[in-house]
Amino acid sequence: MSAEATARPHTTPWRRLAADRIARWVVSAGGLAIIVSILGILVFILVEVAPLLTAARVTVDRKIPLAGAAPGALLSDEHRTHVAALGAEGRVRVIRLSDGQTVATRDLLAEPAELVDLQVPPESSALAASTRDGRVVIAPVTFQITFDAQNRVVSPEISEPVVLEVDPLGRPLQSFAAQIDEEGSATTAAALADGTITVVRRSVTHNEMTGETGEETVRTSAPVSYRVTHLALDADQKNLYGGTAGGEILWWHLEEGQIGPVQAASAGTAPITALALLIGGRSLVVGQGNGTLSVWMPVSKAEDADAASGDERLTRIRDFPPQSGAIRLISPSPRRKGFLALSDRELGLYHSTSHRTLWTGPSPLPGARALGTSPKDDGAFLAGHGTLASLALRNPHPETTWRTLFGKVWYEGYDHADHVWQSTGGSDDFEPKLSLTPLLFGTLKGTLYSLILAIPLGVFGAMYVSQFMHPGYKRYVKPLVEIMASLPSVVLGFLAGLWLAPRIEHAVPSLLLALFVLPVLVLLTGAAWNRLPRTFRGRFPAGTEAFLFVVVLALGIWLCFSLRQPFEHLAFAGDFRSWLLHAVGLSYDQRNALVVGLAMGFAVIPIIFAIAEDAFTNVPQNLVAGSLALGADRWQTVTRVVLPTASPGIFSAVMVGFGRAVGETMIVLMATGNTPIMDWNPFNGFRTLSANIAVEIPEAPHGDTLYRTLFLAALLLFVLTFLVNTVAELVRQRLRERYSQL
Amino acid sequence: MTADTLQPQRDPALEPEIKDPIILRVEALSLWYGEKKALKEISLKIPEKQITAFIGPSGCGKSTLLRCINRLNDLIDGVRVEGDIVFNGASIFDPRIEINALRKRIGMVFQKSNPFPKSIYENVAYGPRIQGIKRKRDLDEIVEKSLKGAALWDEVKDRLDESALGMSGGQQQRLCIARAIAVEPEVILFDEPCSALDPIATARIEELMQDLKSQYTQVIVTHNMQQASRVSDLTAFLYLGELIEYGPTERIFINPMKKQTEDYITGRFG
Ligand SMILES: Nc1ncnc2c1ncn2[C@@H]1O[C@H](COP(=O)(O)OP(=O)(O)OP(=O)(O)O)[C@@H](O)[C@H]1O
Ligand SMILES: [Mg+2]
Repeated sequence: MSAEATARPHTTPWRRLAADRIARWVVSAGGLAIIVSILGILVFILVEVAPLLTAARVTVDRKIPLAGAAPGALLSDEHRTHVAALGAEGRVRVIRLSDGQTVATRDLLAEPAELVDLQVPPESSALAASTRDGRVVIAPVTFQITFDAQNRVVSPEISEPVVLEVDPLGRPLQSFAAQIDEEGSATTAAALADGTITVVRRSVTHNEMTGETGEETVRTSAPVSYRVTHLALDADQKNLYGGTAGGEILWWHLEEGQIGPVQAASAGTAPITALALLIGGRSLVVGQGNGTLSVWMPVSKAEDADAASGDERLTRIRDFPPQSGAIRLISPSPRRKGFLALSDRELGLYHSTSHRTLWTGPSPLPGARALGTSPKDDGAFLAGHGTLASLALRNPHPETTWRTLFGKVWYEGYDHADHVWQSTGGSDDFEPKLSLTPLLFGTLKGTLYSLILAIPLGVFGAMYVSQFMHPGYKRYVKPLVEIMASLPSVVLGFLAGLWLAPRIEHAVPSLLLALFVLPVLVLLTGAAWNRLPRTFRGRFPAGTEAFLFVVVLALGIWLCFSLRQPFEHLAFAGDFRSWLLHAVGLSYDQRNALVVGLAMGFAVIPIIFAIAEDAFTNVPQNLVAGSLALGADRWQTVTRVVLPTASPGIFSAVMVGFGRAVGETMIVLMATGNTPIMDWNPFNGFRTLSANIAVEIPEAPHGDTLYRTLFLAALLLFVLTFLVNTVAELVRQRLRERYSQL
Repeated sequence: MTADTLQPQRDPALEPEIKDPIILRVEALSLWYGEKKALKEISLKIPEKQITAFIGPSGCGKSTLLRCINRLNDLIDGVRVEGDIVFNGASIFDPRIEINALRKRIGMVFQKSNPFPKSIYENVAYGPRIQGIKRKRDLDEIVEKSLKGAALWDEVKDRLDESALGMSGGQQQRLCIARAIAVEPEVILFDEPCSALDPIATARIEELMQDLKSQYTQVIVTHNMQQASRVSDLTAFLYLGELIEYGPTERIFINPMKKQTEDYITGRFG
């Protein structure tokens, strides 16, 4: 503003005033717009992140009176319009929720039979029950969805039930579990009155050539010394879990229907009153008579993960706050590692992995006998005392807590709790593991390795150029550095990942050698140069001695590369990579922190250099003259006067470089391998927050937990750079205050 | 190098009779900033333990000449020198001479006070530390002596650890003098040391220069005629890079031999 005013001193005062005012307006508006847009970005990110941490809500949608015997098993369609309920008299009723009408019924057995135990097999859409005469009935239920002129029509269909004779003597089963697959192969396991566990498997084979279907039934038994009150069979029909009245948890392997030896673990003395397998079949939720709720997983005891599954032990992983009475029913979520647990008076919604109790409250239907979760995990059903209650679950991101984001979590299939980022997996029941810690770690690792290179080169380069270099050459350096800064980072990343990385792989011994050889060589050359007679040195034009060092450096690099083989032989027994693995225990990835350090260092050097050079150059010349006039030499002047005086500027150069390295995306994306591991090993890759966002956002469904977690990563980056810049600015202000009166 | 011997005869306006021993002899010194000749064959002799003043209009080359004496012009790109300056019998341009040692013997105080952004103590101790003095006791002694020598001790003795940047302009300039005498030079060069100071601070510096006379040879560049006449024993008048007149201060001010000198000191000058 004042520049404008002084530039046109002949303008009349009112014009100057107007120009002044307009300039002030424009500047303020510009500044305000920047602040507003930054705040806008922040608000947008916050809005996307906030739902991650909202609480779950469970509300009763409606209660419908029920006819017939009290149902013991419930299934619903995806849209929660119909519920199939199996009653103890053996009749399946499909009830339309909108009006409570029964739209279909089917009797599972031809003859009237009394059902004893009713359930929905884990991860299935089937109803199963055991009869008083020792048989097991399994009936798959499907809800066909068709569209009739804009309207969704749900037509329930109850398939022909599979009936398996379990107790040949026709006695009631003490407990049972059943499972059926898509082909119709079914397995049931039951605790019989004769003290055995009997497994009956009916496998269906389909001959493509003849079109015939064959059927084969296998039956095995194994004696058990426990009173097994509950059984659960996983979807693969391979693992059978049992709970006893004495609080033991039992585990058998089934191989083609053959029952293996039992493994037992104690959950305390309280009887097991409910048992359920979470989706994936690896986590067992155990409810007990005293209200205890715990999650168990097979964990390999051997150190290495490839140990045979025989080495796995059923391990108590976590406990949830107990309910006030015995746990009656547990209904696992069909989509994630969550479950509902019901005792006589309480209902609770839990998530296993995040160890969250999402919601607890009084049971909407005290004394309910059946509990089911809708396929989309957005609703639940309770039945008992002639009433069906439909609940709505609002529970968008149960798997996220501060602990799953930043702390260690014990995931299924791991033998300890750990920080893991793995957003997608091969199977449908894959559980995303979204820990931001490895990404934060990767960000800091990449930043650290690039700053290790960039700070010394940038700062000392700036120091040399501004304080020692012959002024005649100075003017070539800045444009060169600017060219360096203008290289798009995608080019750097591309070069680093595809060109540099394979070359470095072979050249690591040379680089290590150079780390020692080059400094020594340069120091020796410097010392030798100073010892040469002045008259000889005077023959070279001032400033050209710098080129001597360039030649020496080139020579040193050539030396290091040609000495690679003998050096590798001498120091690393001929092969650096195997030496690294065996003697140091570090693995070598082709795309690693070293490569990134070089490439990102290359991107950060010009930034640090430019700011540091300004800082050095801005040190008042009269301070330098003052120091020299006292008999100090150039080096003493630089280290004792120039460097401390330029320190605020150098500090901000480093901080700006840090900020650049933290946010840099393309280079790390292309040169790190993006493996989200936590290891300081310079020869390993890593994954940074920024690269992670770039990698994952195209795959993340809008509104999904992954999507929101990526926004959280963005927020983290935002906060990180904000903090760095704020701290940098504060420190710079304070330093500047100290040197302000110069 | 022996230009003065070639001089046919002595010009009384340029070569006063000096009884004291000569410490600095400027001999036919010419200096170019690139193509521009800033000093033209200047010859003069500076006696020991006297105060010599350089006066002349702005841009005439006073600072350039002064900065030649401790070779501070070396820092400037494209400077070329002809002629010689002999200090204690040896040429300061001799390639064998250690330039840092020369500057230690010829101290300088600048127009704009330039204390380092360090404490008062560290400012004064800077030179001795550079010389390799490390013992705290020795340094303490030097700092006290130098600050007393610069008539600053009583004002700052209780705040030696405070930043020098918190001092007044006059104090800062005296601190720079203390800093200069801490390395025990033989000559102190002053380049307009009082131009940024008020009359009281100026008077103190002038007083101080008189006190320092017993130990040091002093050369001062000034724009202030009264100051030159008050403090100096000899005065050199330069004009457009040439030495116009050089002689005892009293004679120059009372009875200048050259018209240009008279015009300048009477203020009739552009
Ligand atoms: N670094 C430089 N590069 C080029 N020319 C210079 C430089 N320093 C001084 N000069 C020129 O040399 C001449 C003498 O400058 P000098 O600073 O010695 O004058 P001065 O007598 O000290 O003036 P002032 O009283 O204003 O300080 C001037 O014309 C000036 O423009
Ligand atoms: Mg000057």
